[in-house]
Amino acid sequence: MSLKKFSELFVDLDSSNSTNNKIEVLKNYFLSNDPIDNSWAIYLLTGKSNKRFISGRYLKNLFSQIYEYPEWLIDTCYLKVGDSAEVITLLLKNKNTSRKKKLSNISLNELLSKTIPALSKLSDKEKNFKIKNMWETLPEDNHLIFNKILTGTFRVGVSIGLITKSISKLINIDEEIISHRLMGNFEPSIDSYEFLIDKNINLQELNSKPFPFLLANTIEDKIFKNSINDFQFEWKYDGIRMQLIKRLGNVSLWTRGQELVNESFPELVEKISHIKDDFVLDGELLVWNFKEQIAFDFSLLQKRINRKSPSRSIQIKYPIIFIAYDLLEINGKDIREIKLENRRIELEKYFSKWQNKTDNNISDIFKICDLIFPKDWPDALTYKEKSRENNTEGLIIKKKTSTYSSGRKKGIWWKYKVDPMQLDAVLIYAKGGSGRRAGLYTDYSFALWKDQELIKFASAYSGLTNIEIKELDKWIRKNTIEKFGPVRSLKPEMVFEISFEKIQISKRHKSGIAVRFPRITKWRKDKKIKDADSLENAYELMKKI
Amino acid sequence: MRTKEEDLIRYKDGSLYCEPADVWIDPNRPVKTALITHAHFDHFAFGCNEYFSTKETAILLRERVRDNINIKTFDYGEEFKINGIRISFHPSGHILGSSQIRFIFAEEKWLITGDFKLQKDETCKEYEVVKTDYLISECTFGLPIFKWDETNKIAVNIAKWITNSPDKTSLLFCYSLGKAQRLLNEISKTNFKGNIYSHSSIEKINNCYKKLGISIINTTKIENKNKIDELKGSLILLPPSLSKGSYLKNFKNIQTAFASGWMSIRALRKRSGYDKGFPISDHADWDGILEVVKKSEAKNVFFHHGDSEALSQFLVEKESINVLR
Repeated sequence: MSLKKFSELFVDLDSSNSTNNKIEVLKNYFLSNDPIDNSWAIYLLTGKSNKRFISGRYLKNLFSQIYEYPEWLIDTCYLKVGDSAEVITLLLKNKNTSRKKKLSNISLNELLSKTIPALSKLSDKEKNFKIKNMWETLPEDNHLIFNKILTGTFRVGVSIGLITKSISKLINIDEEIISHRLMGNFEPSIDSYEFLIDKNINLQELNSKPFPFLLANTIEDKIFKNSINDFQFEWKYDGIRMQLIKRLGNVSLWTRGQELVNESFPELVEKISHIKDDFVLDGELLVWNFKEQIAFDFSLLQKRINRKSPSRSIQIKYPIIFIAYDLLEINGKDIREIKLENRRIELEKYFSKWQNKTDNNISDIFKICDLIFPKDWPDALTYKEKSRENNTEGLIIKKKTSTYSSGRKKGIWWKYKVDPMQLDAVLIYAKGGSGRRAGLYTDYSFALWKDQELIKFASAYSGLTNIEIKELDKWIRKNTIEKFGPVRSLKPEMVFEISFEKIQISKRHKSGIAVRFPRITKWRKDKKIKDADSLENAYELMKKI
Repeated sequence: MRTKEEDLIRYKDGSLYCEPADVWIDPNRPVKTALITHAHFDHFAFGCNEYFSTKETAILLRERVRDNINIKTFDYGEEFKINGIRISFHPSGHILGSSQIRFIFAEEKWLITGDFKLQKDETCKEYEVVKTDYLISECTFGLPIFKWDETNKIAVNIAKWITNSPDKTSLLFCYSLGKAQRLLNEISKTNFKGNIYSHSSIEKINNCYKKLGISIINTTKIENKNKIDELKGSLILLPPSLSKGSYLKNFKNIQTAFASGWMSIRALRKRSGYDKGFPISDHADWDGILEVVKKSEAKNVFFHHGDSEALSQFLVEKESINVLR
């Protein structure tokens, strides 16, 4: 019933690699703590809050000030630890702060609903005093959680799925229901926890929430053994997956990350609100090129995502469209258990009804996805290869007889993505990683040839195995030319195959190009730097699409 | 660490060397005369003509090396002379037999700490404060983020870790020499009363410690024929080299942990691949190093083995000690 208990929970979850074990630990936690603290625990564990009350830098400065510690020393420690909240926690240990005063056992609710939010209303001086006081009165084992919540960096290896499972076990109710209850906003309160563990399933209560999204798996060879007629084919758009919900006349637009984004796309909400029926649609939001009837690049969509109440001119400059691919609920009736092919018929039927209303032209902002009809699997492959031409990422393949269940259940939806583009590039800079990669050089920059010069074209940090990371880290330390803070420039010697999804002109980069999702796919130890690709090769790739 | 040609002790080819006496300290390759601070292999090179060490270190080395090596042994504090240089071994608290080495020549005192710790450890002699003019100290954990908990607190946590999972076999990885014996000693004082097994490499050292008069609780040598059911709820000590690879397939339903000072950092703990980490070290933490520097009254300090930059700068700025870098 306290920060102390939650700190223990964190240690238990953090030091277990077994899913069953974690579920058991969570279940026991929920059983032995009161509803309000449980709701806060869920709030933290599901990552629904990552509000930063103060920055890591501020925390470090404050520590330096109070305990007369040189800042450079804290920075050196940071390089080893990779997390400001943890550095300060470890340094506090050295100060024996908590042994001086009577220890407090604050409840999670009080800490999160009162103490910490109150900080933002204080002057720096009062704030510092308050934090210092917390450091000195909280037990040592609670410092990490406290500092992490302050800096908005609380994270632990627990997925929403795991929370869902443990609550489902706790009250013996189907995971799908719990998962649905956990969708959308979660405001920590006794009520929100009681609702979560209510044994009576009342579907009305779920009205304000989107359904758990059905996710696609990467395609497997075995599917090609099936008849092509068993599947429905769609383009895989590169936008934001969303559920467009209209219930009791109210429209809500939910992202897969469970954010309500009505304010960012008011023109869509407005148009939809005039439709007479109630419904839940699964689909994709895109910035749309109406002239050519294809999607604009994702980068244009980014201009809309984080902008609330966009002006009229922004709405015109970046015109959006919602492309529906599934109908999940119609006029209050949940139809997720109906076969996909029949849901599609319903979707088409209702869409044509809505479209034919002359007083509300929806076609400039809303459509249903076109289907593709490959005649056999080789034909499907041809479609996939063509997907770059219409700015899609490949195909989505859905089993016609499937129902709409939540999560990444296998064998229902498949994604068949177009192969990534690849270039061989030379490693020229490395930077220390943070978090789990602290103390290792794990952020890399790569260059391509331009005449006799190597020009940086992309940065990547994923794709190497842990063993390769360690090996490369050793090499980096031995082959550094110069250090600039955390960055090292390196002897050009190592060649890597870099894969990426998209390539486009960029004025901001010296290379003149920008790539999307760059990642390392191979350490080309067989190649010398003269074998690496040139910028010209990159331009060639751009012409092809 | 940078030393000068005329220094009594200096760095040469990656090892510490005392030229006037022509002796090397923990050399990394065969030399004529090697002074050995303790019996860990990273401080020992095969093929030297003669070795000097404490009695305990000699016995541990002979047990581990199984070679007929020529070791001259000395008691702690017993002084001997080579080319007029007075040399003596002093307890360093790292493991059984571990020592600091002091050199005195023409009124000038030099002290090499070897690996050391200040924390209480019943399996070896406590660190002895030795006054010196020049100090050469290790600094494996030379950052203020390292602050060791009381050993008994860690032992209680280990006991809890085992008893909280009665259906599992708990594998605790630790260095065979020193750490394992210290852990056994501490765990025997907790309320964990289950079975304890050791890997043969650890069992061997346990017996050696016992012969040298250190009381270590009896453990059973783990063998492949141990039944899985019998291992439920028990503790098994293993060397870290066995943590990767097929050895673990001998067991079912296990949880693993590593006992090492590095485990105090979450990123390292996560990367290590063990389920759990217990931060316990046979090296000094930041405060320990500062304390030794202070109590030695050294006017000149050198650091090696670790992150010396931050520690050096700190001492120069805060304590006005001459750190030679």
